[in-house]
Amino acid sequence: MGFFKRKHEPKKVPEGRVEGFYKVTGSGKYAAEYKLENVCYAVLVGSTIAAGEIVDINTDNAKDIEGVLDVLTHRNRPQIPAFADEAKAKRAGFSLPVLHTNKIFFRGQPVALVIAETLEDANYAASLVTVSYKTDQAKVDFDKEHATVPIAATGKERGSMDAWSNAPHIREQAYTIRNQVHNPMEMHATIAVWDGDKKLKLYDKNQGVNNVQQTISRLFDIPPANIEVFSEYVGGGFGSGLKVWSNVPLAIMAAKQVNRPVKLMLTRPQMFTLVGYRPQSWQNVRIGADANGKFLGILHQAKHGTSVFDNYGEGITRISRLVYNFGNLKTESATVPLNLGAPTWMRGPGDCTGAFALESAIDELSYDIKKDPLQLRLDNLAVINDPDTGKPWSTNFLNECMTKGAEMINWKSRNPLPAQTKEGEWMIGYGVANGMWFAGRSKASASIIMQKDGSITVQTAMTDIGTGTGTGMQNIAHLELGISHDKIRIKLGNSNLPAAPSQGGSTGLSTISGAVAAVCDALKMKLAGYASLQDAIYKDAKPESIVLSDSGIAYQQAGNHLISFDKIFSKENLQTIEVEASSGPGEERQKYAFCSGASHFCKVRVHTKTGKVKIDRHVCVVDAGYVVNKLAAANQVSGAAVGGIGMTLSEEQVVDSTHGCFIGGDLAGYHFAVNADAPIIEVDFINKIDPNINPSGAKGVGEVGIIGAAAAIANAIFHATGKRLRDLPITPDKVLLAKS
Amino acid sequence: MRPFTLQKPTTIGQAVSGKKESAQFLAGGTNLLDLMKKHISQPDRLLDINSVLSEKIESTAGGIRIGANVRNSAAAANELILSKFPLVSHAILKGASPQIRNMASMAGNLLQRTRCPYFYDTSLPCNKRKAGSGCGALKGETRMAAIVGHNPQCVAVHPSDLCIALSALDARVIINGKDNKETSIPFKDFHKLPGTNPEKDNNLPANAIITAIEIPSNPFNKNCSYLKLRDRESYAFALVSVAAALQLNGNRIVEARLASGGVAHKPWRWYEAEKFLKGKTADLSNFKQAAEIIARETHPLNGNEFKVPMLKGAIEVALQNCLTA
Ligand SMILES: Cc1cc2nc3c(=O)[nH]c(=O)nc-3n(C[C@H](O)[C@H](O)[C@H](O)COP(=O)(O)OP(=O)(O)OC[C@H]3O[C@@H](n4cnc5c(N)ncnc54)[C@H](O)[C@@H]3O)c2cc1C
Repeated sequence: MGFFKRKHEPKKVPEGRVEGFYKVTGSGKYAAEYKLENVCYAVLVGSTIAAGEIVDINTDNAKDIEGVLDVLTHRNRPQIPAFADEAKAKRAGFSLPVLHTNKIFFRGQPVALVIAETLEDANYAASLVTVSYKTDQAKVDFDKEHATVPIAATGKERGSMDAWSNAPHIREQAYTIRNQVHNPMEMHATIAVWDGDKKLKLYDKNQGVNNVQQTISRLFDIPPANIEVFSEYVGGGFGSGLKVWSNVPLAIMAAKQVNRPVKLMLTRPQMFTLVGYRPQSWQNVRIGADANGKFLGILHQAKHGTSVFDNYGEGITRISRLVYNFGNLKTESATVPLNLGAPTWMRGPGDCTGAFALESAIDELSYDIKKDPLQLRLDNLAVINDPDTGKPWSTNFLNECMTKGAEMINWKSRNPLPAQTKEGEWMIGYGVANGMWFAGRSKASASIIMQKDGSITVQTAMTDIGTGTGTGMQNIAHLELGISHDKIRIKLGNSNLPAAPSQGGSTGLSTISGAVAAVCDALKMKLAGYASLQDAIYKDAKPESIVLSDSGIAYQQAGNHLISFDKIFSKENLQTIEVEASSGPGEERQKYAFCSGASHFCKVRVHTKTGKVKIDRHVCVVDAGYVVNKLAAANQVSGAAVGGIGMTLSEEQVVDSTHGCFIGGDLAGYHFAVNADAPIIEVDFINKIDPNINPSGAKGVGEVGIIGAAAAIANAIFHATGKRLRDLPITPDKVLLAKS
Repeated sequence: MRPFTLQKPTTIGQAVSGKKESAQFLAGGTNLLDLMKKHISQPDRLLDINSVLSEKIESTAGGIRIGANVRNSAAAANELILSKFPLVSHAILKGASPQIRNMASMAGNLLQRTRCPYFYDTSLPCNKRKAGSGCGALKGETRMAAIVGHNPQCVAVHPSDLCIALSALDARVIINGKDNKETSIPFKDFHKLPGTNPEKDNNLPANAIITAIEIPSNPFNKNCSYLKLRDRESYAFALVSVAAALQLNGNRIVEARLASGGVAHKPWRWYEAEKFLKGKTADLSNFKQAAEIIARETHPLNGNEFKVPMLKGAIEVALQNCLTA
């Protein structure tokens, strides 16, 4: 028995999403789509150098354009209080003193903001702002710079490196990955509206309204309660919406300056420089095993890029500490400051990068030992205890993911030797790799408003960035209460609603399911309280013995005799019944370790003459605890796996070290995977409840679908061709030129 | 975007007489409007020519005439083109996306500008965008750049797929000049190499309008193929592409056509290799030799050397595909 003794009768959930109708018909509004009276438009001007200082800015020509209201620069913008004081700025957690410095840290850094009556006027005027600079030497070449940065221990060393220096099998390899960008469909945008001096409304694209509220509160010295943030519909994020970027304070400054609502939406090219990316990385893995393939030790070193003004670190080596048993282990890391925009969490941050190296190295070792890479992994999995903390995993079914995936792709039919299977000029290969992600949970609140007709609205400040959070909440509320799906409305993404953390790190559903369960209990108890006025036996009622339906409340000890909602409402003369509750992790986190796991299997074909890689099949089996809504969960995994295909084969935000910048800023030239690059991803779930994580028994599923995907594909390419590709993305030129 | 006025001429005569250097014709707008939004092209006047130019595909005494305003998707699905000039359809369908092809006109496709990232970023040097500012790609990122016909002034490539097929099939570009008289330019002379004025992509006379494309009848409808190698399977420009066509007599090659995209400032014909294949047996060993001849013609840049082996592979595969087409 676990911490949470909940019923888990699998219930059929209706197809579709709670927000589907509103998105498809356009009646659901994304941040930039709100229509506000008297709104004007702002367009950003970015720096054209990567490092140095602004010497002069000429805004006269821009100001001459009809319709232009003002042009903000570091010389005339309204003061952001936190930027007047370094300590305050630090506390605000906003590292770019945007328009509050003449220093340039990266190319594309906002240096001016044109505000005009129309977007067209603002856009044209922005092209007329001229800036002269004093240019410094910029550091953008990660390969060159990382060699100069020392590496340091991260996490506790286990055993010793000497203990396995004579291991019968040792592999040591370096792996590299280029910069990748999030670029969700909806571009980052903010509409800022001041009400007097101290009250602010923000319509903003982000993954957490409360985070925006807190950050802006600290930056502008306004109490959080005076800041309302609306993000009802969010068109994707992949992590880029977990931070507050310069568009938010800029829109707020502009609105203050012109004393009108101001809308600022980034352009697609600006999306490539101003809202984060997955930083370029270098990793070195040394791994040793005995003659039978038992892992003896690992050294995992990692460095990745960061910006000169904002030290961002992602835990690339973390994954090596978790998935397999390594008696001896050492992990080291470093960040490499560069004159590029700030990187940030991007789907499966850290682990996704780390898994490429770890799971490639294991694969290399398997061919050294001549042991099936599937079996080698199975033999070394740490499914009982978390090797890092020693705590028992609450649940970890990664072994079952592997077995099931192997069956689905018919792993045993594969020729164990690489570069053996040919169809015409195509070489065929199979690869496997595992992914793991901590199954986190935070505290959140939710409320329910019940109407006379028994319909309810469940609400929380949490956003739904397209993951199906709202739909999952409806499914859980139905499971907990018994009220029909069509009588459960969901309201999200508004800072006036009960507080919730940002939606990220695959913690959204895990976090909010606790709050939904708690508020469902609260509703039952509130109704039981009213019912007890009619039937005293309800005084002793506990949530688990209360049953709600569309018509009323029933209680086991009262012979399940139904008291209708109608009766309760009219007897007590109620208009609505409202309850709110919070829930968060507790003692269970002391006792157990939590993880979600995924096994990726991939079948590729590689053309011998052109280097083209085609993915024939991609299977992903996931242990995500209880699957609340299979369609939504599978959709997350399949999207993540397609992201993994892009990461592996084509995505690269190229850095030009001569000109000190990212080059190319459009989706025609940045090659995320399209439908034609991906087969239908074959997703399945172990679907076993985690009884200790939260009341729903569900673990997060957003990240694991990408963690391990890259190695599975690269391993399949090796099996097909005998060529080991250790630098992502594996574009056709690299396949062609690689030696087998 | 810079403010502009929009005019809608109703005849070809009106269109050409209204055209000045500072004005631009607007067809599908899929390239021009992007360039205007990025302040790369800044016309003060747009002449919408959509109701002026032909949308017909007609059979003529010598071949086929495709109106300048035919949409790329319509041309790709046209019965006449599919039966007589399937290479054209194959090439179009490898370009852009269905949505873009639905808007893109035939003339606009010929005149689309390079996709070199330095051309697209107004804060970087580019001789094609701003004469005399230098070539950013030469010392920067050359992955997509040319391997033949380039010079230090410009290493950009022409991005079109359609044009590679038209080049292989010796099409002609039909134009009306300022005098409103119809003349034509052979396809091989239509686009140009960068020379000393890379800001010019082609030899279309100033202010002239393209009214049609003609392709002479040819025997290449049975054995032809278009192969495009790129970083993803759809919605990406070519690393290298090959239009190949063979006229066969049994196993013998009577005539061969080979052209490539992604390699030069203009659609590039491989005349030497074509000459080599003429009269030879259509087999892998001869295809390999043709690919070798082609490889010898190339001069890759620092950073895009991979295009040579890739091109060789593409030539072989495209020729092989002609036999199974
Ligand atoms: C994201 C993206 C991906 C793409 N991928 C590919 C690809 O893979 N392969 C490919 O081949 N193409 C690709 N394209 C390019 C596309 O094919 C061209 O944009 C299109 O063909 C241009 O046609 P249009 O009618 O829209 O031209 P417009 O944009 O209207 O015009 C282009 C230019 O031609 C001039 N012009 C137009 N008609 C005439 C005329 N009759 N006489 C004289 N001048 C004229 C205009 O003044 C303008 O300068 C892509 C485009 C985009 C946006």
